[in-house]
Amino acid sequence: MGNERSFRRGRKYTNGEIIVYWKPDSCIHASHCYRELIEVFDPGKRPWVDMSGASTEQIIETVNMCPTDALTWKFNDDERNMDIDPEHTNHVNFRRPELMVAGNETNEEPVSVKIMPDGPIVLNGTFTLNYSTYRKDVKESILSLCRCGASNHMPFCDGTHRKVGFTDN
Amino acid sequence: MEENKDFKPQAIIEVTEDGPIKITGNFLLSDAKRDIMESPTEIYLCKCGRSQNKPYCDESHKK
Repeated sequence: MGNERSFRRGRKYTNGEIIVYWKPDSCIHASHCYRELIEVFDPGKRPWVDMSGASTEQIIETVNMCPTDALTWKFNDDERNMDIDPEHTNHVNFRRPELMVAGNETNEEPVSVKIMPDGPIVLNGTFTLNYSTYRKDVKESILSLCRCGASNHMPFCDGTHRKVGFTDN
Repeated sequence: MEENKDFKPQAIIEVTEDGPIKITGNFLLSDAKRDIMESPTEIYLCKCGRSQNKPYCDESHKK
């Protein structure tokens, strides 16, 4: 797991709940991150941040120890970014407000591709869908694609998977 | 088709007619049932329902 994307000479990583931003130019090698949480922040590995190595709470706690803005974080769900206590936090609201400006960053959200158990693929985000000569630009929206092969409305899910008894196994 | 110059897709979803769904770009694949959470740059997902390696395509559609 882990998500590594170039972002203004920095990188970002997500576990689906929070995004951690890495800005190498700001790092003064205080070493709090890997001394505290080597399971997530391991300079010897590539990518060096593994978001599956610890809980969201532990990751936030460790990022907040970074003395610079080399490591900052925010919730994927923007509503949860509203009530952050500015004390001792490396939330991007306070450390890198440029990342919170609408349009600066929100367009970079990865598209969520969710496999529903015994059901369709649910796409959520900003993406282009191509199907034969059909093309659709989807902006910050959700749609479901058939995974059972029996839809009467290809490539979209029309609920037929329940009738045909499609299972994941 | 409406042209939108500001539209910046994070991922391209390519649904082939007789094959899998190809996804490229910036995306996060999750499958709670199989405990998958990954962010590759390219994947092929089964859409015929016959793959033995779901959610991925294993070319069963050709059989």
